[in-house]
Amino acid sequence: MVMKGFTRKFKPLEILTEEQLEAIHRGTLEVLEKTGVRVEHERALKMFKENGCEVDYKRMRVSFPPGLVEECLHKCPSSFHLKARDPKNDLRIGGNTLYFSTFSGMRILDLDTWKTRPATKTENVEAIKVLDALDNLHYHSAYTPYFEVEGISPSMSIPEGVAALMRYSTKVIQANYALDCEIFNIKMAKTVGIEVNGACLASPPLTYRRDAIESAFRFVEAGFPVWVCSGVMMGASGPATIAGSTITNNAEVMTGIVLTQLIKPGTRVWAGDCAFPMEMRTGSSAFGAIESSLHQVVFSQIWRKYGIPIVSCAVGPSSSKQIDFQCGYEKAIGAMLSALSGANVLTSYGGVYGELAFHPVQAILDDEIAGMVGRFIESVDVTEETLAIDLIDEVGPIPGMYLDKEHTRKWWKKEQFMPKVADRTSYPEWMEKGKKSALDHAKERMKEILATHEPTPLTSDQEAALERILEEARKYYSERGLL
Amino acid sequence: MSIEVLENLKKAVVEYDGEGAVSWARKAVEEGADPVKAADALAEAAKQVGDAFGRGELWLPDLVATASVMEKAMPVVLEAMERRGQSRRTLGTVVAGTVFGDIHSIGKSMVVAMARTSGFDVVDLGVDVTAQKFLEAVKEYKADILAMSALLTTTMYEQKKVVEALKKAGTREKTKVVVGGGAITQEFADKIGADGYRATAPMAAELFKELMRVR
Repeated sequence: MVMKGFTRKFKPLEILTEEQLEAIHRGTLEVLEKTGVRVEHERALKMFKENGCEVDYKRMRVSFPPGLVEECLHKCPSSFHLKARDPKNDLRIGGNTLYFSTFSGMRILDLDTWKTRPATKTENVEAIKVLDALDNLHYHSAYTPYFEVEGISPSMSIPEGVAALMRYSTKVIQANYALDCEIFNIKMAKTVGIEVNGACLASPPLTYRRDAIESAFRFVEAGFPVWVCSGVMMGASGPATIAGSTITNNAEVMTGIVLTQLIKPGTRVWAGDCAFPMEMRTGSSAFGAIESSLHQVVFSQIWRKYGIPIVSCAVGPSSSKQIDFQCGYEKAIGAMLSALSGANVLTSYGGVYGELAFHPVQAILDDEIAGMVGRFIESVDVTEETLAIDLIDEVGPIPGMYLDKEHTRKWWKKEQFMPKVADRTSYPEWMEKGKKSALDHAKERMKEILATHEPTPLTSDQEAALERILEEARKYYSERGLL
Repeated sequence: MSIEVLENLKKAVVEYDGEGAVSWARKAVEEGADPVKAADALAEAAKQVGDAFGRGELWLPDLVATASVMEKAMPVVLEAMERRGQSRRTLGTVVAGTVFGDIHSIGKSMVVAMARTSGFDVVDLGVDVTAQKFLEAVKEYKADILAMSALLTTTMYEQKKVVEALKKAGTREKTKVVVGGGAITQEFADKIGADGYRATAPMAAELFKELMRVR
């Protein structure tokens, strides 16, 4: 049994012609062959060389023959299973399915002052519990809600984050890399008996750092799937144009995918897009920009042709520093367009400003956006029963009505998405009940979840094994002066 | 040196014409004129672009392009100054780089561009710079300001190492240390004993000016 998520029941949004798509595809292969990609990893360079790539070891530059790239793209499964701690939370990624996942932030946001600060360990656990409870959050795509947690060193932040996710959630988990922490993430996953998803992230333009490649080797060799993603900043780490930055971004993602398929053909991979235009005054990414959506829609259109599951990452953050109207519209428009484009995973929950701030209340609001988007892509059911022609005939004109009909009782709940935090009270009722906004309702919902939701705990054996591995990690970093 | 040559040199800078700027700078030097005046002309033109950015008329790509023109043309006149044993007044000297283990260059390059177009001399050490390399450059160029960038939570502690290295070498008091990058916060800057932190490149350039006034 798998978590259903949402199923898109109509043709995805396509904005490029076949000729335009072909031009981007050809351009990408040309860049991979002519310009090549810098891969800072000896073993990977050797492997590329053995498989027919031209390799300049001194510059760590790899030129890919187009045939090899296309062959490797073909080897990727077009859909695959992901194992969660609780089998009812397993996922089947690919095809027309849509799942939602987390976008982490470095720090917690104060909901009154909008200042950020490191989260406490308790707040980190609370955030995970909220994510575990939300209906439409299918997947923890980030290794932790917060990267900065009081009392945890940067070196231990990922292993501790992954362990906390294993303890307080039974949903599918991603485990990133940094400073070799993937060694411990893999061990923890095997101990608990789940799969974690590895990552291999490019450093645009056209570069893979050693640690990203090492991570791919480790996760693939452990038999785990790998999330390959690049995050071009249009106008800074890639061309300012959407077409041009799609080419560099795709060349980067393809490099990672070729690598995974050479290590082990058939390895489960996702292709991720996380493109933002540069904000040309501050030099930051313009989070929530509509150009990110254009980039994603083009990316989805191309990668659907390659038959590789697609992740949309740029839908996570907004440029707003607070949970407000801007944050809402930027995230909602992004999520809707990505879903329409046929992306399979949207990493949208909880992120506020860039990767700086996360809050579970925002995740609760994102759960609402996910519900609305999911409802939309499931489309309109057209059957004899939903057309309701006999019923229309039976009711006729006024004073006929539908409210008392069995058909209404049966269908309205299937047809209507029921919001959990949007305020839909009548005006007088709203005035009487303290003029609450969606944000107020979301804060209340967080309290309610924390009061009622108890995630299934690990067994005491699993818990003990987890702690042993964490201790091993602490020792590892302490020996290297990183604790 | 004709005024025309200096005007052309300035024009090349504001038109982002690196080759033009280099050839007009050479011409100025070859004509045997005062290279300090040529350096001032370059700095003045760059400041024009910086000011236009400040007024919201130009954007980061314009600023970075100007800085790279400066990077090409300035050495021509600086060499001539050195031959004559001359020096000139600038707002100060900034040594900048991204810390060891981190190859994110764009933020650092924007800070370099902002500083160059605000009237500072900038020594750009690039990315993946070790504490030792920072220390050597600070000494060699008698840096007034050391600006370090780190984007990652895993590399930000390198900045602390550099501060410690400066202390150990006994040069900490002579140089103001400024930190920045995606993972950095004011609290972190305070914790490692830096003199300042700013979130964006334009704010960093303002901070440089403040720190020079304080000195």
